[in-house]
Amino acid sequence: MVEPVYIVASGLGIAFLLGLINKAGKNPAGGVMLLALAFMTLVSLQWMSSVVFAGNSPHYTFTAGFQPPFSISLMMGEKEAFFTTLVNLIGLLGGIYLWERFHKQGVNTMIVYLLLFVGLNVVVMTRDLFNLFVFLEISSVAITGLVLLQREHKAITAGFKYLVATGIISGILLIGIIFIYQYGGSLYIDDIIAANLTAVKGGMVAIFLVLIAIALELKPFPANGWALDLYQGAHPGVAALVSGAFASAMVFVLYKLLPIAGGQWQTMFATLGALTFVGSNLLGIKQNQSQRLLGYSSVGQIGLLVMVVGLAQFLGDRLTLIAYGLLISHYLAKAGLFWLAGVLDQDQIRNWAQLRKKPHLLALFGTFIFALVGFPPFPSFFAKWELIMQLSAGSGYVWVGLILLGSLLEAVYLFRWLGYALKLDHQQLPAINIQWHKIIPIVLAGVGLFVLGYLATPIASGTAGINFIPLAFIILIYFLDVLPARVKNIVVIAAMAYYGYLIMPGLEDVRFIFSVIFIIGGILTLLAGFAYKGRRKGFYPAALLMYAGLGQLLTAETMLQFFFAWELMTIGSYILIIRGKNSIRHGYSYMLFSVGGAYLMLAGFGVAYAGSGMADLAAIANITQLAGWAAVLIAIGFMTKTATLGLHIWLPGAHAEAESDVSPMVSAILLKAGVFGLVLLFIHMGGEAASGHPLFYVLGWLGAITALVANLSAVFQEDAKRLLAYSSIGQLGYILFAFAIMTHVGWLAGFTYTLNHFMYKAILFLIVGGIVLRLRTHYMYEMGGLIKRMPYSFIAVLIGIVALAGMPPLSGFAGKWLFYNAGIEKGWYFQGGVIFFSGIIAFLYLYRLIHSIFLGQLKDRHRRVKEISPWFLIPAYTLIMGIMVFSAKPGWILQPIGQAITQYFPSSPLRWQADGTAIGELGYWNGSQVMVIVMGVFILITLWLILLNRKAKKVEQFNIVYAGERPERPETTHISYNIYAGYNKAIGFLATPWISGLWQWIADGFRDLAVQIRRIYNGNGQTYALHLLTYVVVVYLITIGG
Amino acid sequence: MLKKIFFLLVLAGFAVMLFNAYGLSGPDQQLNDVAAHYAEKGPQEVGAANLVASVIVTYRGLDTLGEVTILFLAASIIGFFLKARRDNQRAPKQVRKTSEILETAAKVITPVIFLFGIYVFINGHLTPGGGFQGGAIIASGLVLMLLANPVKKINHNIIRVIESISGFSFILLGIFGLLLAGGFLDNAFLPLGDFGTLLSAGAVPLIYIFIGLKVGAELSGIVSNLQETQKEQI
Amino acid sequence: MEHISLSQIAIVAGILLILIGLWAIISQRNIIKMIIGFSLFDTGIHIVMVGVGYVRGKTAPVLDEAVNVKEAARQIVDPLPQALVLTAIVIGLGITALMLAYALRLYQKKKTLDVKKFNDLKW
Repeated sequence: MVEPVYIVASGLGIAFLLGLINKAGKNPAGGVMLLALAFMTLVSLQWMSSVVFAGNSPHYTFTAGFQPPFSISLMMGEKEAFFTTLVNLIGLLGGIYLWERFHKQGVNTMIVYLLLFVGLNVVVMTRDLFNLFVFLEISSVAITGLVLLQREHKAITAGFKYLVATGIISGILLIGIIFIYQYGGSLYIDDIIAANLTAVKGGMVAIFLVLIAIALELKPFPANGWALDLYQGAHPGVAALVSGAFASAMVFVLYKLLPIAGGQWQTMFATLGALTFVGSNLLGIKQNQSQRLLGYSSVGQIGLLVMVVGLAQFLGDRLTLIAYGLLISHYLAKAGLFWLAGVLDQDQIRNWAQLRKKPHLLALFGTFIFALVGFPPFPSFFAKWELIMQLSAGSGYVWVGLILLGSLLEAVYLFRWLGYALKLDHQQLPAINIQWHKIIPIVLAGVGLFVLGYLATPIASGTAGINFIPLAFIILIYFLDVLPARVKNIVVIAAMAYYGYLIMPGLEDVRFIFSVIFIIGGILTLLAGFAYKGRRKGFYPAALLMYAGLGQLLTAETMLQFFFAWELMTIGSYILIIRGKNSIRHGYSYMLFSVGGAYLMLAGFGVAYAGSGMADLAAIANITQLAGWAAVLIAIGFMTKTATLGLHIWLPGAHAEAESDVSPMVSAILLKAGVFGLVLLFIHMGGEAASGHPLFYVLGWLGAITALVANLSAVFQEDAKRLLAYSSIGQLGYILFAFAIMTHVGWLAGFTYTLNHFMYKAILFLIVGGIVLRLRTHYMYEMGGLIKRMPYSFIAVLIGIVALAGMPPLSGFAGKWLFYNAGIEKGWYFQGGVIFFSGIIAFLYLYRLIHSIFLGQLKDRHRRVKEISPWFLIPAYTLIMGIMVFSAKPGWILQPIGQAITQYFPSSPLRWQADGTAIGELGYWNGSQVMVIVMGVFILITLWLILLNRKAKKVEQFNIVYAGERPERPETTHISYNIYAGYNKAIGFLATPWISGLWQWIADGFRDLAVQIRRIYNGNGQTYALHLLTYVVVVYLITIGG
Repeated sequence: MLKKIFFLLVLAGFAVMLFNAYGLSGPDQQLNDVAAHYAEKGPQEVGAANLVASVIVTYRGLDTLGEVTILFLAASIIGFFLKARRDNQRAPKQVRKTSEILETAAKVITPVIFLFGIYVFINGHLTPGGGFQGGAIIASGLVLMLLANPVKKINHNIIRVIESISGFSFILLGIFGLLLAGGFLDNAFLPLGDFGTLLSAGAVPLIYIFIGLKVGAELSGIVSNLQETQKEQI
Repeated sequence: MEHISLSQIAIVAGILLILIGLWAIISQRNIIKMIIGFSLFDTGIHIVMVGVGYVRGKTAPVLDEAVNVKEAARQIVDPLPQALVLTAIVIGLGITALMLAYALRLYQKKKTLDVKKFNDLKW
């Protein structure tokens, strides 16, 4: 074992010698510096393996050979080993990254760089308060020096502000230390803890001064303007160190010193941390300058860590996982992002679209963003999960709320940024200058996030585990992205089929039903991918990610597994949705609603965990307190996915603007994930026994109103895909209504609708998507008369809308029949009435859909248009066969479903006869008979029409529209344009988008707030100094007073 | 005006805090345990007559190492910070001549100042003073030289060599302490000698010599760097 | 007057110096004056440090003819704060030098020392 003091000795010794080594040239000097850092890293790694993994006891170094408190002692325990490793590792990587800079600026910069890390190592290891002060000063001064690596004016002003701020902070720290010595008679931290100085007023103030100085080093909002300027003005390679190494070390120092307050002020620090986390992320949403934005994010993340330190008593033995998980994600992701900023050299986040010139860098960027927000499979995901669980278990719901609010605000700007990078135009931007010494550290940071996430999983999930094979496969597909799309499509479909073969046989009842939608539906929609040529870069990893998430939802047994799968699915679907041409806004709002919903769900799971002490999904069934809250929170979380009214505004754009084969995926399949969640929730709430719960009454109404408003909105759409999207919202309203009835028949209706909607919405979106691909327009007034060019499409759409409308003989009718049975049985007449009314409205938009696209006059330019791609027709017709079977023999499917739900809803008024007739309380219905009768009538009428029209004359089409006039808006001359103007006048007010307006108002409110608050950062170093003093005095008056 | 009142309020709050920390108590009547240990055991453990020196060099030697490092850091930063500009603007402008008295006196006094500085750090373990004080005195001699002859070029290479060698030697002595005696920076790897004589206190005098040289070199470097930058300004 | 000791005077004076220094830092717009403020601030702290180490009626912690080695503990003031203050002074010196170098560069950029003019980065 190498004595830890050699970390210090080697670093300092080499730093002192560098000036001489430089005589041999800059390369040897730089090499020696990196060697020193590598040596320091190795020593700390070696202690990590000894103390952390082999479980040896901590090592103490007594300098000068005397026991503390007489001499300065260093400690190398578990945490010290971890933190020195973090510090040294980033030192090594950052040194490689800055290699070229060092060469340009000379050996002195290398000296300063090396000394920064010596300082931080001692800061972490020392057990002596004054020694801490000295080496903290070394680190701060070194940073002030490194800022100057960027030889611009802004760097110099930023450095000066930093110098002023740290000058004041270190003064406060020193005053505190000297008074602690006065009262405690020792500078050895353990002695100070034992002396319990808070008993004396002076001692308490002294300790306050020390701790507040450390807190100020952590850049608390709002006394942190100097830090933000530093992040913005410094060289990105240096900002990465300040954010990754310095801040990490300071968090540990706070943790190390907090015991000297003898258990006081934990809450105060947690509050300060929370204020920073929320405040800083709030201001971030107005920021467009990339490095400053990263600064806001850094400050926020550190605030979160301070919170964790302050709340340590809530977290028990999970503290390590939580703190390390959050810290390491922040550390790697933030360093990676700052380094990326240095590679791009783009000041504005809008210009990060430049990343698209190097897709692998873009993937790394995405990795960092997702890791920061706390998505799986990164360590922060598990950390955040545990944090919420443990805080809930300790009834710290206010903290949970603050954490989730701050995280949401952070997601707001990070996903805006990611969206810019993914979507904005990059043609005008210069090419990226690739320098390998800069790229390697970034890649390592990205890989590190994946590896550590994988390693954190068993700690977080216990015995339940998480199946990483799908994820590994997705990474493989990512690297196979150079293959043609067709090859990848085959591979992916085979993988899906194999995955289904693995999991589907093991699934029971409800889960099996959804597996049909997720897996088989997934394969069918993927078939449409054969219509695409080229490589379709990025499509397959995203699609697979979504399907892997959906698949793992099915097999999830614990809440963690469920949430993990849910978030995977969210990532995948977000990327799929934002791929659409004009989807930047829609992908963004989809993500924000998803994140918001996921956080509510997380809070709900937290309540469930707290109320039951269980980690299984069954926890929901065993909540002893606040059960209602858990149910409501989780339900709202799911309803963001099912796009229930109020939470639906992301959907129309997201579905309409998505690529043609993505729309059916996200509409027919993805929405069902929310339904699946609700079904599980309702089951765990107790099934039939819980049916009296007021939540269901509310949900029933919500479903009904959603159906009405969405259907009405669909009526007024000019865009065919948007129409279908609104229709989906409405259909999901039906489904919510049906499940909320919470009776056997209601659920049967719910499942019927779920399956039906999956089939007909997939058909409709596939066909319309195929048409859109052919015609290059979404607008119905630019279509018309396509029946002759696209007869197969016409038939498919016809069957789709008949099924959707719930007309006999197709399966939609089965749904309706069950639906009204259930509604009447339950006594929900009013709601049922609303649903009935909205069903009629559905006819309007369905008629419009088929009429505007297929009937009427064929546009001139479409005379030669071909039938849509067979790859869209094949899945559509497969699904049509499904509908036909379901329609003719509903009992084949409904009877097993009925049996499956009997365990939750034993009292079934419905009986099935051998010939497939279902007998309910209000009548009977036989799908096969209905089919035969309707077919018979249909054939008779057709024959009669043919007979009648024998003599009809065929009229050629000619254009009379433009006779002598040039309309400003040609679309107004199309019959289908604004076809329902009359209805709009009468009931259009119901469809006014006041909900979008409401959300917009909230968003603007936050933005305005951010604009107001950030004025305090006026750029004047003196004001920042005043902020620091004011902060200290205010916190002092609040905590100690007088 | 409002701003001024706010300043004063904040400062008043700060004052309240500081006086609360102090508590206006009178001085201690006796030493605390740590200080008593230094007073009683110091002569045997370290062997320096100047107890402050024994605390600085041995008991809290790591702090001292840090302190030297800060000076070194400041000198390095100022070196590269001010250098870049100097490279751009070569031509030094005309400097006003200093008086003859100053020039002559400087020639006489400077060697004496250097000698005095060396005396102070060599005797640091016996009498008030030490490496820092001695180093500062040496640097003040350099300031006098520069005042007397502003156009004089200081040889940065010499400064660099001195600071490198003396700093590294400091570390080496520390490591000897770790290898041959109780711990890093333990002075007892050399014989403690007769208490109160020049060759006593183990490695303390040696360390002080290196500290003195290093501090002198750093301060000289800082001063000459600032001065050379200023030259272009005049 | 015998109630008031040397150390009390020193510490109170030190605290006042600290406050004066802070006042200069937050209210003087000239950067050089701010740096002087820092010097005052640091000096105040150093005086407080020395004051804290004082023991009534004792002598300097140098074991020469004036102090008996055997009874040193009863004859000298606390050596530790004196060692600390030395370190603090040197650190303060380094930082002051750095600040001056910054001031020099800032002045070269904008030909002014008004701290308000250096607000390029904000919000």
